[in-house]
Amino acid sequence: MLRRDRASEGLLPAPFQLSGTQVLAAVLTVAAVGYISWKISQSADQALQFAFNGLAVGAVYALLAMGFTLVYSTVWFFDLYYGAAAALGAYGVFYLRSQEATFGRYEVSSVYVNVVFAAVAAGVVAWALHVGLYPRLRTRFNRTALLALGGLLAAGAGAYTGFVLAYPGVLNVMLSPAIGLLVAIAAGWVLYRGSRHILAGTSSVPSRVLATAAAAVLGAYCGLLVANAPGASLYLSWGVSCLLAGAVGLALYRGLYLRMRERARSPLVMLVASLGVLLALTAFTTIVFQSAPRPLPEAFGSDPWTVGGASIKGFSVFTIGVACAGFIALLLLLKKTSFGKAVRAIGDDEEVSKVVGINTTVVIAIVFFIGAVYAALAGLLSGHDTAIQPRMGLLLLLKGWIASVVGGIGNLYGAIVGGFLLGMVEQFGIWDLAGEWRDAISFILLILFLSFWPKGLLPRK
Amino acid sequence: MLPDSHAYRELGRLARNPREFFRSSKGSVELWVNLLVITWALAFMLWQGAGFAITVATIFAIWAILAVSLNLVVGFTGLLSVGHIGFFGIGAYATAILTSDPAYEQLRTEAIPTFGWPFFAALPISIVLAGLVALVVGVVFNRFRDDIFVLVSFGFAIIAFSVFLNWRGLTRGAFGIHEIGKPQLGGWVLDSETEFLALALFFLALAVLISWLIVSSSFGRVLTAIREDEKAIEVFGYRVVHYKLAVWVISAMMAGLAGGLFSSWTSFIDPNSFILLESILLISIVILGGLATIWGSLLGAMAFVLLEEGMRFLPFLPNEFIGQARQIVLGILLVLLMLFRPQGLVGRYKL
Repeated sequence: MLRRDRASEGLLPAPFQLSGTQVLAAVLTVAAVGYISWKISQSADQALQFAFNGLAVGAVYALLAMGFTLVYSTVWFFDLYYGAAAALGAYGVFYLRSQEATFGRYEVSSVYVNVVFAAVAAGVVAWALHVGLYPRLRTRFNRTALLALGGLLAAGAGAYTGFVLAYPGVLNVMLSPAIGLLVAIAAGWVLYRGSRHILAGTSSVPSRVLATAAAAVLGAYCGLLVANAPGASLYLSWGVSCLLAGAVGLALYRGLYLRMRERARSPLVMLVASLGVLLALTAFTTIVFQSAPRPLPEAFGSDPWTVGGASIKGFSVFTIGVACAGFIALLLLLKKTSFGKAVRAIGDDEEVSKVVGINTTVVIAIVFFIGAVYAALAGLLSGHDTAIQPRMGLLLLLKGWIASVVGGIGNLYGAIVGGFLLGMVEQFGIWDLAGEWRDAISFILLILFLSFWPKGLLPRK
Repeated sequence: MLPDSHAYRELGRLARNPREFFRSSKGSVELWVNLLVITWALAFMLWQGAGFAITVATIFAIWAILAVSLNLVVGFTGLLSVGHIGFFGIGAYATAILTSDPAYEQLRTEAIPTFGWPFFAALPISIVLAGLVALVVGVVFNRFRDDIFVLVSFGFAIIAFSVFLNWRGLTRGAFGIHEIGKPQLGGWVLDSETEFLALALFFLALAVLISWLIVSSSFGRVLTAIREDEKAIEVFGYRVVHYKLAVWVISAMMAGLAGGLFSSWTSFIDPNSFILLESILLISIVILGGLATIWGSLLGAMAFVLLEEGMRFLPFLPNEFIGQARQIVLGILLVLLMLFRPQGLVGRYKL
């Protein structure tokens, strides 16, 4: 207060008075803009190349930052598991598709890994059934029978996951029943909803039979289509590893973070616990896959195009597209659905959300799941771009964390802006320096940002 | 003995009234942890004999200096720093460069500056250098707190590692520095393991003494107050910034000391000794042992070192997985502690 009073008696009228920090920030911004324009004037082609690389790298950071932001804006702590989730996503693809790897036909098929993930899947399905369906059905049906049925379903899901993981060579065949079933359910739901409008007034029985039959046929057809397309295995493995990483994230929430929240542990304690999770999972990944860098199989678009002197990989364009699509999907989810409303309400005040009848446990669990899926997606996309190694998780985690802080903590727009900004700064930063300085550059950016804009670019209102 | 350890008080009660003690100590985790770790250490020494135990004890001493110094910042002041390994590395590199032998270094293709100083001249300079770096870093970091402080301290570790790896003219990058001088007192070279252990334990005792003096003084009480409520102690007229900076610099200097000892002990350092993971292990040790107790840090370091050495003898664990297995155990312990005992095994303060 004192300082501000003294400043108001300064020489300049109020709007022109700037604090030292603001002046320094302005000088730094001008210097950065000047440096980049000087580089562009030197070689526009190269600048284009660096800008594109920056966008491609930034897309990965943005995906991670979105996951961070989603979780942070709901429960107000940074879940460091997402570093491990990124590594798990990448290694999941490696595990499932290692026979397609370009060199070092490295076969990992460990029963333990399959069993662990099968158990996680079974647990998550059991919990989902328990909180999702059981409360609605238990008043109408025999509870024991319901519990037994739920247990059977969960065990079946676990066994199915285990089998999928055990036979990765025929991933498309293994997954075709699940995909067929999902398509059939989705189609059936759409048809029921549609038929209600189209066939209004007529008896609903024929329409139901018709819709069921159509859905079954469509599901079977999709299943067959997948089963006959071995080329789809790579992209199916993306889905599987994202889902598994998400399932682990959810299991961690249910098994660990929820209990800690019940004991009212501070955010810092939860951060340390998630650091322990990261430590253990990174070591687990290292034991299973060894620490040497490994390549992922070639995805599409690895041949570069030349656009205006810059070589651009189709896969990088795809990565940027995924980040943008992920952003839009998350935005729609948060702004347009009742789930999004619940998430924002919990972020604002958890107690009140509980009072007005939001099932906070379930909503937060889904938030953790989505965040982990985004992190795994980021990990596997960056894994296709460069080789993967177990410690990639920690670095990706830090980059995503930086991006979410630079962009503005707890703001989704900030996450994507911060991600792309961090990618650009890193790439332009290593133009004159060696590439090894990249990690240092991103932290220097963070420290500068925190010193001058402590709330980030786009702070949460 | 260390005044902040409950265990001693409990042992005293055991001597006076065993039956009452056993009834009341059912839930005394601290006592059992203390007993377990100390028994384990003694058993390990007896089992392994002097030679190996001396090596392990030296590793313990270096980790313990680091843990005690980090506990000043994390436990007593409440700043969760994950970048402490950076100061350790600065101390190690400074000692290595100052003591490296010019005659040997000229044989190398990539020249780095050499001084050929004696160890005991290089060590204080290394400590001061770590302190100076900490001063600069601390001035910048002083404004951050909680999770943002964690993030920027990660950043310090990463930046320090980048400098060690990429400033080839000074550190010879990934090739590392060889033939680092052994400590020398007059004509007496401390080149045997036992002599070095004595030196390391001496410095550990010094670090513990300094820490104890700090935490039992009014300075230490201000630090504790900062941890509990920064705003409140500021209202009482204390310049919180200065106190935090002071303890940060002192802690960094102790880490620099540990670094100097480490580089002289191994006689070869490269950036891989100072990666971020080591820093995370270090903070795990501090939290594991217990926040805001000196004894806890010693206990944590001891448990950590013994964990690794003990795992070497598990029959079903291949040797190359030991580091990873220890990391898994540490991670799980960290999770369990945060869930059930956020003050650590013998700690006084919950994060």
